[in-house]
Amino acid sequence: MTFMNQEATAPSKTPEDRSTEFVAVQGGNEGTSAEALLVTAYVLMWAALLTFVFLTWRKQGALEKRLAKLDDDLRRAAGRS
Amino acid sequence: MSGPRSRLFPSLLCLTGAVFALLIYMIFEVAPPAQATAGGIAQKIFYFHVPAAYAMYMCGIVCFLASAAYLAGATDTRNAIAKAGAECAVVFGFMMLTSGPLWAKKAWGVYWTWDPRLTTTLLSVMVYVAVVVLRAFTGDGDAERKFAAALGVLGTVNLPIIHYSVQKWGGNHPTVIGRGGGGLSNPVMYWTLMLGFVAMTLLAILFVWTRASVALLSSRLTRAEEEAMALEPDEDSA
Repeated sequence: MTFMNQEATAPSKTPEDRSTEFVAVQGGNEGTSAEALLVTAYVLMWAALLTFVFLTWRKQGALEKRLAKLDDDLRRAAGRS
Repeated sequence: MSGPRSRLFPSLLCLTGAVFALLIYMIFEVAPPAQATAGGIAQKIFYFHVPAAYAMYMCGIVCFLASAAYLAGATDTRNAIAKAGAECAVVFGFMMLTSGPLWAKKAWGVYWTWDPRLTTTLLSVMVYVAVVVLRAFTGDGDAERKFAAALGVLGTVNLPIIHYSVQKWGGNHPTVIGRGGGGLSNPVMYWTLMLGFVAMTLLAILFVWTRASVALLSSRLTRAEEEAMALEPDEDSA
């Protein structure tokens, strides 16, 4: 941002005048929106929780399928004997 | 262990939902923002970040106790609780490790720094991730269970180190709560945090309960499948 402001106020005439490096500045975090960080943090945390709930629900579904198959196999085996 | 279908579970689920609704209202409508050096409005991340860290400690302790109990005497229930503890510790650890850097960006100007508390926390979460990955990819035999239980015990040894790292080694991480901390000046901030602890405790109980029930059911089902296979008459001899 600092680099861009300098460009806007004093445009370079030749390639030699241009910046050749980026230097960290004090207070460089001022441009970061606290609201955006807050929303991102809560979205990520809720996403983690909901993903965990979804994975648990899927695992329970897989167990129910295995249980139904076992039940089916046992019924067939009982019918054979 | 009774599964999520027991009578207590729906009551606990409703209570957790209600506490979370109240917590969100308190965070975004009632609690005032903190000073600019603490991140201003981004400090509101604190009301989920700290309780998530506490929930990770709780799940880690559950994993430790169940793992130690499993090593003392192997049962399916102990194994299921140890597994659930590690899985939930990873989820709460992920919540803490994603929310913390976003708050730090505003408060410190950087997402991450190799501060003692941050580093030891990352290490601890990685240990629980290792336990979960180990259990997921190496089968469910007795040797694998014992190895995972031993790793679960070792992972929890790191938890007191995280807690006291700020006091012993300093670093950037704030010490607002507890010994040496200035506390929360506003009573609304204090009660919002307390509500956060209650909400995360309830959620951790629900998660550990559900995951342990699923793991236990899976173990019993595997055993039943093996017994059914043994009972099945051989096709060639028939």
